[in-house]
Amino acid sequence: MLLKLRNIRKHFGGVAALRDAHLEVNAGEIHLLMGENGAGKSTLMKIVAGMIARDSGEFLWREHSVQFRNPSEAAAHGIAMVHQESLLAPHLTVAENIFLGREPGRRFGLLDRRRIASEAARIIGEHRFPLDPESRVDKLSPAARQLVEICRAIHQGSSLLIFDEPTSSLSTSETEEVFRIVSGLRDRNMGVIYITHRLEELRTIGDRVTVLRDGQTVHTGSLREISAHELIRQMVGREIAANSKRSAVPPGAELLRVEKLSRAPLLRDINFSLRAGEIVGLAGLIGAGRTELCRALFGIDAIHHGDIRIAEKTVRIRSPREGVLAGLALIPEDRQRTGLATALPLAHNLTLPALRSISRLGFLNKNAEARATADLTARFCIRFASTKQLTSRLSGGNQQKVAIAKWLLARSRIFLFDEPTRGIDVGAKQEVFQMMDELARSGAAILMVSSELPELLEVADRILVMRQGRIAGELPGHCAPESVLRLAALESSAATAGDHSG
Amino acid sequence: MIQRLLPFFTLIALFIVLSIVSPSFLTATNLSSVARQTAVINIMALGMTVVIISGGIDLSVGSILALAGLLGAMTMHSYPVAAGVVAGLAAGTLCGLANGLMITTLRVSPFIVTLGTMGIYRGLALIISKGLPVQQIPDSFSFLAEGNLLDVPFVLWILLVCAAATQVILQHTRLGRYAFSIGSNPEAAFYAGVPVRFHTTAVYALAGLLTGLAGMIESSRLMTGQPTSGQGYELTAIAAVVIGGGSLRGGEGSVLGTLVGAFIMGLLANGSDLLGVNPYWQQVVIGAVIIAAVALDEWRKRRLSS
Repeated sequence: MLLKLRNIRKHFGGVAALRDAHLEVNAGEIHLLMGENGAGKSTLMKIVAGMIARDSGEFLWREHSVQFRNPSEAAAHGIAMVHQESLLAPHLTVAENIFLGREPGRRFGLLDRRRIASEAARIIGEHRFPLDPESRVDKLSPAARQLVEICRAIHQGSSLLIFDEPTSSLSTSETEEVFRIVSGLRDRNMGVIYITHRLEELRTIGDRVTVLRDGQTVHTGSLREISAHELIRQMVGREIAANSKRSAVPPGAELLRVEKLSRAPLLRDINFSLRAGEIVGLAGLIGAGRTELCRALFGIDAIHHGDIRIAEKTVRIRSPREGVLAGLALIPEDRQRTGLATALPLAHNLTLPALRSISRLGFLNKNAEARATADLTARFCIRFASTKQLTSRLSGGNQQKVAIAKWLLARSRIFLFDEPTRGIDVGAKQEVFQMMDELARSGAAILMVSSELPELLEVADRILVMRQGRIAGELPGHCAPESVLRLAALESSAATAGDHSG
Repeated sequence: MIQRLLPFFTLIALFIVLSIVSPSFLTATNLSSVARQTAVINIMALGMTVVIISGGIDLSVGSILALAGLLGAMTMHSYPVAAGVVAGLAAGTLCGLANGLMITTLRVSPFIVTLGTMGIYRGLALIISKGLPVQQIPDSFSFLAEGNLLDVPFVLWILLVCAAATQVILQHTRLGRYAFSIGSNPEAAFYAGVPVRFHTTAVYALAGLLTGLAGMIESSRLMTGQPTSGQGYELTAIAAVVIGGGSLRGGEGSVLGTLVGAFIMGLLANGSDLLGVNPYWQQVVIGAVIIAAVALDEWRKRRLSS
């Protein structure tokens, strides 16, 4: 046995992040670690990787009790973490990054550049990674960056690798590549801990699973002996209604019509419309132009040709400001970077797009702000300690609810959701879907981009499929997944095999 | 919370220590001279607070102070004193406005733009005055810096009004809220439909206005328009903001903190004078205080987030 954790406890201030966590990982196994956001997965992994210290509990590494004071001590014992957000130096090459911090030196402090290059090439070749040791890291796709981190860990002689949601930013083909590599590590008798939210990834890759809930280990065992439904129940601690199709409302007036929209180099001749009460799915492969379409509609990127008509009036939208005034709302895929100012209090985020409506002559009406905040948080069950609480302190699901709710005050009627369930857990996902349903019922039109086909089929009334910057076709909401995939990938399988990421 | 109040306690402790060790510290003459000395920096630092909250920086305020003070003094040669003051305020605002417009339209970072205008405004002041101080200012102008109102230095009243106005702007206006959001996450603010360029420009114009006022006070204090005045003031103003808890990463800062920061530096300078400390050492002490204050603040934040 490589790793054995028993009765791990960890408090942050008055909050218990881990109360009674157990975990055992063997050499040559892929161990899945699952749980809702806030269940304590990341805290537990930070303890394993030496980034934080436990309060109490037993930590056995190869049968010996250990206490890591920092990540380098953990690395020296053979434990490495592949981070969700890449911790590489973007201006250095792949080879330089692999050796960063432990460069082989020659006399007089000179670097042995030749050895760095040849060693890196050897590691990459041995594992058949599709990497060029001489290319700069900032030119690489997210998937390739993860490979560089894996190479680093291999070079350091790691025997336990921790993956924190490695596939959350990857396309399907890249995900398969990561699976192949992770299985390869197992075959070399390494231990792998793999954190994931995506249930469908389970069967393909894992050997055993440990489920955390509220800082406690509630289940551990072989993956073959547990159903997906049971896993969800363990994570959430209650029954979740099985995925059920949303009952659509009869669509009302046309709110948005896009005609012949083009933006070089990607978007070409895009035509579609959204009606009040509709949830329209936007499917497609990574790089098909879905995010770019949302950005162009919202005024972030300029449109080169074509018209946008809102409520039958042609509008020019040249900035998000004009987008907001025209009644559009964008919930971007990257919540932390563009969706919210997480260092600001919850209330300030909620009222930011509609500050004009609660102020007169530039002065804020604090009472109106407090009322609006109370309304929105109650209506969408946003859980918080106080409205002055920093948004970064909310759970991922509650953050996403804030990112959506803030548009209600701005009286937005056309909502563009870009990957609204990314990085949030099963329970919060259902709440986000409920919010979307409620918005549609109150007369909003919704365009929803998602890379997770099952949820798209669950929520959308009809589905637009994008392929290489065009709308390739439209399908009813109850269509078969295969038909969406066929439209999305048709005749592009050869073209996208290369580097159509991002 | 306790750590947040640390600058405040430091100020009080400094005050108490100086009262004990130096008999001439706690006298009306000395205290009002401290108030007059720090008012100029304080008023500049209030503008700098808003700039720093919005994620920017303004290195040109020392030069704006000189240019505004100079133009105000020159105006008084042919127009009434009040017109001179208005001219100084207008000059400061225009300089700030130019900073803001260049930052938002040329898309050059505030550091670079204001590094450039620091030289440009200083050069303009020297060109206009041919390098010579502007004298023969009406005597009544000295009231601004040296006068008393209800036995309290007039500059303290001005400072009080400016501080209250800045506090209201930060906490109760759209401009203030937008400044926090732009400084905290400019992309998220843009995505939320905040008119980022307009309000960024407004922030620099506001800093220019306050600096113009500080420039008039400085001119009144010296009773000349000095093209070389205010050198290095930009760094003192930034230091006051930072000691008071402002973050150069944006999104953080407060009026009260800045006032405390400016007064800490004012008392350190005054205390060293009274105790006969070598003025060269003053610079060493103040430098150390800046680093210590920020180190403490970073330590506090690390503890909070882990």
